[in-house]
Amino acid sequence: MSKKQLNGKQYWRSLNQLADTDEFRSFVENEFPEGTLELSDGLSRRKFLSLMGASLAFAGLAGCRRPIEKIIPYVISPEDIVPGIPLYYASAMPFGLESIGVLVENHEGRPTKLEGNESHPSSNGKANAFVQASILDLYDPDRAKEVSNGGESSDFEAFLLAWQDVRNKFENSAGENLAVISTEYSSPTLARLKKEFLKAYPNATWVAYEPVNDENVRRGIKMATGTLARPLYNLDKANVILALDSDFLQTESDVLRNAGDFAKGRKVTHENDQMNRLYVAESNYTVTGAMADHRFKMQSNHIAAFAAAVAIELNKQGFSVPGIDGIKSAGFSFNKSTIKALVRDLITNKGKSLILAGSRQPAHVHAIVSAMNEALSNIGETVTYYTFPDAQPSDIAEFKSLSTKMANGSIDGLIILGGNPVYNAPADFNFANALSKVEFSVHLSSKVNETSLLSSWKIPESHFLESWNDVRIAQGPSSIIQPQIEPLYASVSNIELVSAFTTGQSVKGYDLVQETWSYILSPTKFEKSWRKVLHDGVHFQSSGEISLKTNSKLLVNELQKQSFAMRTASAENLEVVFSTSASVYDGRFANNGWLQELPDPITKLTWDNAALMSRTTAKTLGLRNEDLVTLKFEGRNLNIPVWIVPGMADYSIGLELGYGQSSIGRIGDDTGVDTYKLRTSSHQGFGFGAMIVGTGLKYELASTQDHNGMDGDATAEKGVQDRLPIIVREATMDEYKHHPEFAKEAVEHPPLISMWEEKDYSEGPQWGMAIDLNVCTGCMACTIACQSENNIPVVGKDQVKIGREMHWMRMDRYFTGDIENPKSVVQPVACQHCEMAPCEQVCPVAATTHTDDGINGMTYNRCVGTRYCANNCPYKVRRFNFYHYTKDIPEIVQMAQNPDVTVRFRGVMEKCTFCLQRVNQAKITSKKNNQILVDGDVVSACQQTCPTDAIAFGDITDPNSKVSQMKQQNRDYALLGELNTKPRITYQAKLRNPNPELEKG
Amino acid sequence: MTQIFPKWSNKVPLFLAGGLVVVLAGIVGFFWYFGSPYYTDVGYRPEQPIPYSHKLHAGDMGMDCRYCHTGVEVTATAGVPPTQTCMNCHNMVKTESDSIKPIIQSWNTGIPIEWVRIHKTPDFAYFDHSIHINRNIGCESCHGRIDQMETVMLSKPLSMKWCLDCHRDPTSHIRPDGNVTAMGWTPGEGQSDWATEFISTNKINPPTDCSGCHR
Repeated sequence: MSKKQLNGKQYWRSLNQLADTDEFRSFVENEFPEGTLELSDGLSRRKFLSLMGASLAFAGLAGCRRPIEKIIPYVISPEDIVPGIPLYYASAMPFGLESIGVLVENHEGRPTKLEGNESHPSSNGKANAFVQASILDLYDPDRAKEVSNGGESSDFEAFLLAWQDVRNKFENSAGENLAVISTEYSSPTLARLKKEFLKAYPNATWVAYEPVNDENVRRGIKMATGTLARPLYNLDKANVILALDSDFLQTESDVLRNAGDFAKGRKVTHENDQMNRLYVAESNYTVTGAMADHRFKMQSNHIAAFAAAVAIELNKQGFSVPGIDGIKSAGFSFNKSTIKALVRDLITNKGKSLILAGSRQPAHVHAIVSAMNEALSNIGETVTYYTFPDAQPSDIAEFKSLSTKMANGSIDGLIILGGNPVYNAPADFNFANALSKVEFSVHLSSKVNETSLLSSWKIPESHFLESWNDVRIAQGPSSIIQPQIEPLYASVSNIELVSAFTTGQSVKGYDLVQETWSYILSPTKFEKSWRKVLHDGVHFQSSGEISLKTNSKLLVNELQKQSFAMRTASAENLEVVFSTSASVYDGRFANNGWLQELPDPITKLTWDNAALMSRTTAKTLGLRNEDLVTLKFEGRNLNIPVWIVPGMADYSIGLELGYGQSSIGRIGDDTGVDTYKLRTSSHQGFGFGAMIVGTGLKYELASTQDHNGMDGDATAEKGVQDRLPIIVREATMDEYKHHPEFAKEAVEHPPLISMWEEKDYSEGPQWGMAIDLNVCTGCMACTIACQSENNIPVVGKDQVKIGREMHWMRMDRYFTGDIENPKSVVQPVACQHCEMAPCEQVCPVAATTHTDDGINGMTYNRCVGTRYCANNCPYKVRRFNFYHYTKDIPEIVQMAQNPDVTVRFRGVMEKCTFCLQRVNQAKITSKKNNQILVDGDVVSACQQTCPTDAIAFGDITDPNSKVSQMKQQNRDYALLGELNTKPRITYQAKLRNPNPELEKG
Repeated sequence: MTQIFPKWSNKVPLFLAGGLVVVLAGIVGFFWYFGSPYYTDVGYRPEQPIPYSHKLHAGDMGMDCRYCHTGVEVTATAGVPPTQTCMNCHNMVKTESDSIKPIIQSWNTGIPIEWVRIHKTPDFAYFDHSIHINRNIGCESCHGRIDQMETVMLSKPLSMKWCLDCHRDPTSHIRPDGNVTAMGWTPGEGQSDWATEFISTNKINPPTDCSGCHR
């Protein structure tokens, strides 16, 4: 492939850039984006940092005196703790029916960082952004802090007395008018306590409600097989994957395992290697869609028809799918040859293919998917069904009937375990009204949220890092959740509360969990096995795996009732598609500053959600980015800003959930728009028939998509576009086979001769990093892991808007190809640690210098803040502290900071240090033990968390290290290597594996 | 006509210039010395909550540093002992002494004793005790003759120059095995040759780049 061919491909970051509008040019050409002078907006997100102001330290002459510092030793030194050496404990993070095995880094009783637990199959040592950021939720200064009753502060003892008073009433009626609403859980102890609760109050109702759940998937499998079950995927065994509106790499269930397994099928080391193929049909542009080899954009309501069309074609090609004969395919408007080729591909890989559909899709889509997977012999291979051991899946029908009962006044006592149903229950349930009819309502919650405010008793809920509990996942592994710190506030856990309701007594979580495990573990060596489970963080119980067969008769019946008609959306008749947010999920992380400021993987929006729409939709409606519009759906109105996402299905409006809360705390309050207001029980996934009316107003959004562009210098517009194809290099498998050196040949340059004397870096260890763009999904876990490890501050929406976000690891996302249906490429960019670093050459005070082992170091105390280095950095990875962002953060939030990393102050530059603290610590440890550093002794935070193992870090002088192995691949290239900066980070070019049959057509 | 200015006045500008140089040098020298940690920090001897005497314990009774400062060989901080360590002896010894009362009080109430910190590097400098001890740098090199101090004082400036002096050439501070916690150890004859060899066989390579300590 010639250079011309590669350069023929256009890449762009935003539509503005593609169109090269004045706005974009003024942003990238302006060395200091507007508003450099002062923080002017008093209502800014910075209020989080400033509310706790009134810091009197360092004032006046006191600064000249040596401050008196105290050393406070223990009175009795705890066993195991050596001050300065962190301890690591295994635990687990519950997440609905899922749980993620974690290792908690604990500094003298203060948890500071979470990592995945390698022994736990749900994480395999990896963690996503939610796991990484949940440490900040523990130290959230806006957590519920005390028990209160009708606004009066109280305590748990008083609550127990109050419960004693009303308890008899419920006991006499056998709990007839008593109900519990829990979130979804999968916990042996809670399951046991639920049984005991129902024994005490046999007629009580217990329902689970989770705003976003897999109920459709479960019901679909029941439709096909007659049994309620959940599927778990083995993507590592799948050669061909068809995802129907399923973002299985980012927002669906079990994403960590999915992403890891999917990446295994995409690890290519040689041009003759095989790679899996991913087809995605979806309306929103998701992370999974960005990874696709073929992405079919279509409205969510067309997915059912698409699934049916695939099933019909399977039938035609001799793989019988029951129940699809009755489907009228006359109205289907899919490209027949596309479906034929797709189905042929699935059949060729029979038993090694996988079809999966998103939880947003209705049950009958999942029923067809299940039948198709069976027809393709995939069941038991790439997909396995499981029951729900010790779990409580949510059920919308039960929740609805309870809400009705509440509204009728037939519920006198209601216990809400976690969640926030007033905020996120379907809009048609009018849950707030129903709740106000309940006389005795108790809300266990970590936040004083909308639901708490309407409940008579508010009880603070303990974070999973400060309470005893347990979890179990469907495949069998269970974990004990062990507290890392005493509860920070007067909080209780859900098991403690349920037990108190049953017995009227306050029992410690530890005793409750131990009792459960006394039934699970062998009684003879209980203490020993208990300790082993605590140590390992995992105990393998029986798996909930079941083998299910399609019940043809049942499925035929069920499918007859369903409509597969394709409704055509238009500008007057829009489709709305609800999805969880990659930042705040369903709203539970809305008060988490790290996550709020985390750019969305595709839209790159921070601090807000928006009405996402395609370019055509916006054009037809006459809308531009940041226009505030009124979205009308089923008689409900919502004002929401517009954000254009190229590649969205036309006339589909993507709405992220979880924003616009009114009572979650200083970070999350009033960020974005509450889209739950439009979400009704009949349209939980997507709905049809919405309208958009302009308001004529603007709403400013903070998107990072045009920030820190390596194309940002004031070069001619042509030059900008020409350089992008050499920044992200990609090829198809076919091109790769014929031109294995395509990545290296992508750019021609004269021999590189240095102006400077080059330092000798031949003696090891020499640190370097390799990032495989072929498996990086752009999930942003590395960004948060880095933020947690390196004490990176949150700056607020106003600062992000002017390009001052501080993330050391930024995720560049480029679009390429057809503007209506572009492909997307992601590229994580951190400091490249150039051997010939341009930043070092211009620093007037030598604050940024090289170490002998090749790290571009940053000495904060030496930096005077000229910012020459940032200007001279071709990668734009240096971040400047325009304000003392960390000065006013509450003491409780400071507890999340890593004691091994300097907290930076105003006026200094910072950037990725290759986790210098980890490097230095490993070096010291190896020297003390008279050992040589081996590969794996130093793991950078981003590498450790990366769910797809896209990042390798290590000694590049050791030819056997993982990083060297990756760098030896022919896809390896240096970013802007033609500048002779000799970066220590190199990338392995991205590959796509399109179906040759479809490529021809 | 008599001269208004006598002849010697020709030299006045010269003297003034010379004087200015001296004054300027004096000012620079003043700050150089009086503004440096050698003057401002060395000798810092705050009053501690308990009149604990290192001279008595470490000097006269010869207790090893590591009896109390247990972290020194394994972690970055040497550690100040918990009340428990004091009580190992003082539940028997001198239990009635006024000086011991705060310890007993701390032991009974569970409230720790708040010591005043003397040896401190800035927050952006990460000093690690363990690697220095493991590389045979004596306690005395940084802390001075603790065994002669009734009340501990800062005897070295702990400034960056002072750190780097040793990092660039540690030969005079490297001690033979077994002498690390010894007080009053003096380098013998041939220390320079011995230490140079010791440094090369043990691959002692103290970092002198910024990132060795600043992270």
